[in-house]
Amino acid sequence: MQVKVLSARFDIPDAHKIEVAKENGAYSTLEKLFEMQPVDVIELVKQSGLRGRGGAGFPTGLKWSFLPKNNTKPVYLAVNSDESEPATFKDRYILVRDPHMMIEGIIICCYAIGSHDAYIYIRGEYTTQVKALQAAIDEAYAAGYLGQSIDGKDFRLDVTVHRGAGAYVCGEETALLESVEGRKGQPRSKPPFPAVEGLYGCPTIINNVQSIASLPFILTNGPDAYKAFGTEKSPGTHLFGISGLVKNPGMYELPLGLPILEVIEKVAGGLRDGRKLKGIIPGGSSTPVLTPEEAQTVTLDYESMAAHKTMFGSGGIVVLDDTVDIVKLVENLIYFYHHESCGQCTPCREGLGWMLKIVKKIVRGEGTTADIDLLRELCDNIEMKTVCVLSAACTMPVRSYLNKFRHEFEAYVKSDVSCQTAM
Amino acid sequence: MAEKVKLFVNGQEVEVESGKNLIDAIGAVGIEIPHLCYHPALGADGNCRMCLVGIEDGRPPLVPACKTNVAEGMKVQLDTEKIKKIQRDIMELELINHPIDCPICDQAGECKLQDYYMQYDGQKSRMTVPPVLKAKHMDFGAGVVHDQERCILCARCVRFTRLITKTGELGIVNRTDYARVTTFPGRPLSNRYALNVVDLCPVGAMTSKDFRFKQRAWFLTKSESLCHGCSKGCNIYIDHNKEKYQDDIIYRFRPRLNQQVNGYFMCDAGRMTYKLENDNRLNTAQVFGKETSLNETVEALRRSFSQAKKTVLLVSPNCSLEQMHAVKKLSATFNTVLSGYSDGYINAGDGDDFLIHDDKSANRTAFALLGIESSKSAFEAALDGADLLVSFQNDLCRSLDDVTLAKIQEKTKFVYIGSYQNGFSEKASIILPVASYSEDIGTLINADNILQRYVKAVIKNVQVSNLIHVVNLLGGEIKNHEEALTDLSATIAALNNIDLKHIPSEGIALTGKEVSNVAA
Repeated sequence: MQVKVLSARFDIPDAHKIEVAKENGAYSTLEKLFEMQPVDVIELVKQSGLRGRGGAGFPTGLKWSFLPKNNTKPVYLAVNSDESEPATFKDRYILVRDPHMMIEGIIICCYAIGSHDAYIYIRGEYTTQVKALQAAIDEAYAAGYLGQSIDGKDFRLDVTVHRGAGAYVCGEETALLESVEGRKGQPRSKPPFPAVEGLYGCPTIINNVQSIASLPFILTNGPDAYKAFGTEKSPGTHLFGISGLVKNPGMYELPLGLPILEVIEKVAGGLRDGRKLKGIIPGGSSTPVLTPEEAQTVTLDYESMAAHKTMFGSGGIVVLDDTVDIVKLVENLIYFYHHESCGQCTPCREGLGWMLKIVKKIVRGEGTTADIDLLRELCDNIEMKTVCVLSAACTMPVRSYLNKFRHEFEAYVKSDVSCQTAM
Repeated sequence: MAEKVKLFVNGQEVEVESGKNLIDAIGAVGIEIPHLCYHPALGADGNCRMCLVGIEDGRPPLVPACKTNVAEGMKVQLDTEKIKKIQRDIMELELINHPIDCPICDQAGECKLQDYYMQYDGQKSRMTVPPVLKAKHMDFGAGVVHDQERCILCARCVRFTRLITKTGELGIVNRTDYARVTTFPGRPLSNRYALNVVDLCPVGAMTSKDFRFKQRAWFLTKSESLCHGCSKGCNIYIDHNKEKYQDDIIYRFRPRLNQQVNGYFMCDAGRMTYKLENDNRLNTAQVFGKETSLNETVEALRRSFSQAKKTVLLVSPNCSLEQMHAVKKLSATFNTVLSGYSDGYINAGDGDDFLIHDDKSANRTAFALLGIESSKSAFEAALDGADLLVSFQNDLCRSLDDVTLAKIQEKTKFVYIGSYQNGFSEKASIILPVASYSEDIGTLINADNILQRYVKAVIKNVQVSNLIHVVNLLGGEIKNHEEALTDLSATIAALNNIDLKHIPSEGIALTGKEVSNVAA
């Protein structure tokens, strides 16, 4: 089931070094790239159907075409390497094992959108990754693939690595821009959207590492070769991080559209012996959970996930077996999102803290059914009332656990005194 | 007049000004959209989420009104169940970690959380877990005391120090519900407008050290007036209260909106001038240190006038236009010399590019309009041979040192007709107290040639005469304020076409030309 598109050079020793990467095809698209017109590159990416790999799955080519026409300001590219969503560990492989694939992708993207300055926003905890990435960028500068004249062509491109300081919210694209600009990472109100007014008030495209890294393959082999993988609406391949209670957790590159249960069974080795499946988090901690029954019909693509009222997300699949305590999982989940709320908007700032205290109360055995109901209602009260979707990233999965595993919460509620204490 | 657009609010068509956000535009026609973080002077931040409104057929259908400009044909929903629930929910979330210590909170009675709770929430608390605890009564400097628990993190104060004073002392540290407003270590609030954050704060998180625990807001009578702290003429509210068996006391000045003059703000120094209205006031007339009645004093004064070989009348640049005019008329009647010498009221270099002016008097511009000479040389020339100097509110000690004054006093008798105890009143042989501006009505022209009216705010237990009445008793032609206005309109060319009896609340901008013409 596994394929080697993005991960083609992952297993080649020293592929992170430029000479090894070049021997194996890195930077080979540049000749072709500079013969093309930027608009044709955008068109090519549109044809490939590449969707943003950060989680939202927005078509990459379409995003690029939102840049204002007749623009006189500089255009920036910000590569989102914040990869902070719990259970997501795909971009880090690219950063360490094949950083030149991403740099080549940056060159392609910048040429297409007319940008001469790219920023790579990398999460602060990625110390190994940032070293590998910076080493690769230095190599690329030395080899003439970055700098004043790329590959001898009349095109300047400078790439700057910006390390985050450990805030999950900085993976939100406008918080990321605030952070790059040197301010506290808090999402901006939209509109204006970054494509119109982004970094330093200039048009800015923000793409995920994996989206950018997919570009060399698309340019080399054409959109049809890319579309040969995956489904009609979710073409291509994806680096899936499969974790949780499976025999062989790890990062696997798979074409989109495969049945989720089959992937867990055949790729990740299935559940541990004697264990039963309780649920699957399909694409990082913020995606609503799937029950084993729902999972029967789920395939790993955007449309199937949407049809099952969950999201494809970041491809971080977490497998939960019958040893998992859902209430404690929810406590952990809310703890994380509460801790990471930027504190800007009232609902998220105050609400997630309240939800955390309620779930802790339930875990302590002091909760009531009214607390469960309140927790469920707060999900609705908070969600989509805020500047960004961080609050929804918490409430959407929490609501799914409350709806699908309510009996586990009720088991924690010892004495059922109904609504009395809450009023 | 700005362009208008038609839109629908709750299905009803309204015509509002274009180019404004929903809160301001719809608010101008009397429809309130609740909001906490938005302030017209600080712009939209969009963090409180209280102003979320529905837009029918809109994309997105739910928008913050502070960040959404009005558009022709827009269908705004404010009264749908969905919006009402959002308002309720946001209020619930604002309040879960709020200490609800209204009984000991200075903001009580003028608190947005209280108002909005009554108007948009009204639900019982569902909070069964402990609230977040934060720091209380933090001294932020500049007379500002902060309570982090009451704070709703609307960031108005933070934005004020960044956008208005550009001093940036305040910031919000930490994330999530640990977020709090604070100062940098060892860097307290230190700007001359800091107390505006107390007014800006929609809740009781920012309180004034000076006002704290002095009065409940609902006992205060809020009277409109003008600050006399400098020549800017900031519009203010005089908040005062007469407690049972007590005198009418002023507890604070607050800025009052006038876009033409001071906007929403005033300086801290001006704000604190309320103390001058309460303390060190002259209440009783004195003749050579002996308390006298008004009649006795007026008699003594008239005697002094008739006996004096040469009299100089010294008027203060803080007197109203009407008072100056009355004194000017008096001067003409008695053939005395009139001076407005008051160099000491000018603190050169103290002003800034915002509200504070060098000139610490409120009505110097009127000198030019009325042709009152205020130069030092003219004053010195006037004093030559003078044996009587009558000061109307003018504290000459601000302009001249004690040695010079003592020298003058050797030959000249000092009379003080004023409201405040000061250096000059101490030297005066005859003292006649008159009402101060907070107890009187009058007109000022500020440094920018804007003519404004202040009205009587405070009624003291012991009421002293107003200055025009005293001038009239001394033999002045003008009997009262009304008459002064009529006469001013008739005799001052620049005021011919101005209805001085009906001055709009934002004042009247005089053109500089009119004033300089008269002065020349």
